[in-house]
Amino acid sequence: MENLFAITGKGYVIVAADTTSARSIVKMKVDEDKIKVLSPHLLMAYSGEPGDTIQFSEYVERNIRLFQIRNTYPLGPSAAASWIRRSLAESLRSRKPYAVNLLLGGYDTNKHEPHLFWVDYLGTMTEVPFAAHGYGSYFVLSLLDRYHNPEASLEEGLATLKRCIAEVTKRVVVSPGQYKVKVVDKDGAREIEI
Amino acid sequence: MSIMEYNGGSVIAMVGKDCVAIASDLRLGNQALGISSNFQKIFPVTDRIYVGLPGLATDVTTLRERFRYRVNMYTIKEEREIEPETFAHLVSSTLYEHRFGPYFIEPVMAGLSKTPSGGLKPFIAATDLIGCLNFAKDFVVAGTASSKLYGVAEGLWEPGLEPEDLFETISQTILNAVDRDAYSGWGCIVHVITKDKVVSRTLKGRMD
Amino acid sequence: MASSSVYSSPGFDFSNQLRNNFLSEKGLPLPKATSTGTTIVGCLFEDGIVLGADTRATEGPIVADKNCEKIHYISESIRCCGAGTAADTEFTTALISSNIELHALHTGRKPRVVTAMTMLKQMLFQYQGHIGAALVLGGVDATGPNLFTIHPHGSTDKLPYVTMGSGSLAAMAVFESSWRPNMSRDEALTLVKHAISAGIFNDLGSGSNVDACIITATHTEMLRNVEMPNQRVEKEKKYGFRRGTTAWKRETVKSLIVEEEITHVLGEAMDTT
Repeated sequence: MENLFAITGKGYVIVAADTTSARSIVKMKVDEDKIKVLSPHLLMAYSGEPGDTIQFSEYVERNIRLFQIRNTYPLGPSAAASWIRRSLAESLRSRKPYAVNLLLGGYDTNKHEPHLFWVDYLGTMTEVPFAAHGYGSYFVLSLLDRYHNPEASLEEGLATLKRCIAEVTKRVVVSPGQYKVKVVDKDGAREIEI
Repeated sequence: MSIMEYNGGSVIAMVGKDCVAIASDLRLGNQALGISSNFQKIFPVTDRIYVGLPGLATDVTTLRERFRYRVNMYTIKEEREIEPETFAHLVSSTLYEHRFGPYFIEPVMAGLSKTPSGGLKPFIAATDLIGCLNFAKDFVVAGTASSKLYGVAEGLWEPGLEPEDLFETISQTILNAVDRDAYSGWGCIVHVITKDKVVSRTLKGRMD
Repeated sequence: MASSSVYSSPGFDFSNQLRNNFLSEKGLPLPKATSTGTTIVGCLFEDGIVLGADTRATEGPIVADKNCEKIHYISESIRCCGAGTAADTEFTTALISSNIELHALHTGRKPRVVTAMTMLKQMLFQYQGHIGAALVLGGVDATGPNLFTIHPHGSTDKLPYVTMGSGSLAAMAVFESSWRPNMSRDEALTLVKHAISAGIFNDLGSGSNVDACIITATHTEMLRNVEMPNQRVEKEKKYGFRRGTTAWKRETVKSLIVEEEITHVLGEAMDTT
């Protein structure tokens, strides 16, 4: 079962996704990267129907890149999120819609604040301080209700994320083993080992 | 479980003495799982018109964008701000255009309309999901807690409420109604529109 | 999505339909639109037509509107009562009213009731009953008084007295027992009031007040809330809350007063003599 988590903190967003790629009951891959770096300050974690996820995330990645090439500056987090939401909402009105759930973490380089958006395959979008997709969300959201701190440093944020991952690993019946974690802050997006 | 209950959420609008109020809860859910406690369902249309869009959350955003587009086009073409009655018909016809593939939204509108003598008159309206307008003189409700809102509002509302009293009445109505609804709640927001200002207050509500 | 054009094409937009089918296949049933359980009637009298309607609009078991208007304007001497899906009756009559006005302007004659009836039935037949409008159409034109019922699938009846909606049986019972040919205006109005009242009190889908409309060759009289048998008594107590009852966390005030400062420019006034 796929899990995506994300937490905002003081000047950063941490995005984490499990690395398993499963078909039916079989694990096909255990080192899949489900977090795309869309622009220097924007991360997108995705889960959902295999195939759709790759197709859609690459479509988004290239369009965001195209915008940056054309206009010489990248889309801000909320503008990018709006465009991605609209793409999903339009896709939902087509014959074969993309079944993809997303978490978008970005750092607004103009206002110097982190943004996190929760987006689902229906085109529902909302800005949140922390978010999750998948069965893990039932545990993680309540955990973060208690432990999330918008003023936490990156170290504290990562510690909170580790608690989340530990909880999911412990309590969810079919829980994935490994997670890839990426962070976006004023210095841009980068991967972090936990 | 119908599509209308998928994300949860409720809106109410009330008339007062030379003022109107519109309030909504702030929950966004995925069925029983709460996702956000700051999901806005009420949007300003002009300075004196607000629209609440309870229903399927993806359509909240889509319709919000659509209405903003159509109101902007109206403002540019007519070179004046849209009146609440006109906006109500714009909403109604937009929804009826999608009669055979509707948006899952039941809009609620509140505003102050200009009278020929230059004064301002309270205006509220609501429509169903295919755009049947309901111009009420007292209050209109919509969303997953609508049945509860009808009951509480029927008991609490009285004519001629001053802005501050209207705030208390609408706040108590929505707070108590959403407490009896599993899919609405997680905080509320109230906008009171008077002739010279709009007061928006985020209420302290139960978070369960 | 077909929204990029400023001038969208007329008619219905089916862009949500694929999505909505997809959602209903996922086990989320599609909601039903507001249906008006209704009592609407019409009857002939010696020099015209009386139309009647109740004023309740329902959403399932909930009374959505306690005083709505169900007698719609078609032209000065043609009116139409609507039952069924509320939005459908509203928009169908508005569309036909608009077309009748254009037709009258085009022909230079006063519109006939049969013309409106034909337009309505052709439209409803075209939509094969998907537009759920059940109508009572009445009016007076060059051929005299005319009264029709139009069903959602497009069939029509021409009768001296008609009823429609969920309260049609209760109302028809009154007509069957008391209607006579060539009644006077007052007798006809009383009969219509009785018929609507029968619907209001015996049918759960109908309620509140009686609206009536008397159409004669020379004059149309819309009697809004001609009978109000269900007025709410004044509340015995005030249920207002003391100011400051509700706890709130944040407040933003947006001032709508545009600040204006008038600076008088000193100096001699211009000589305009």
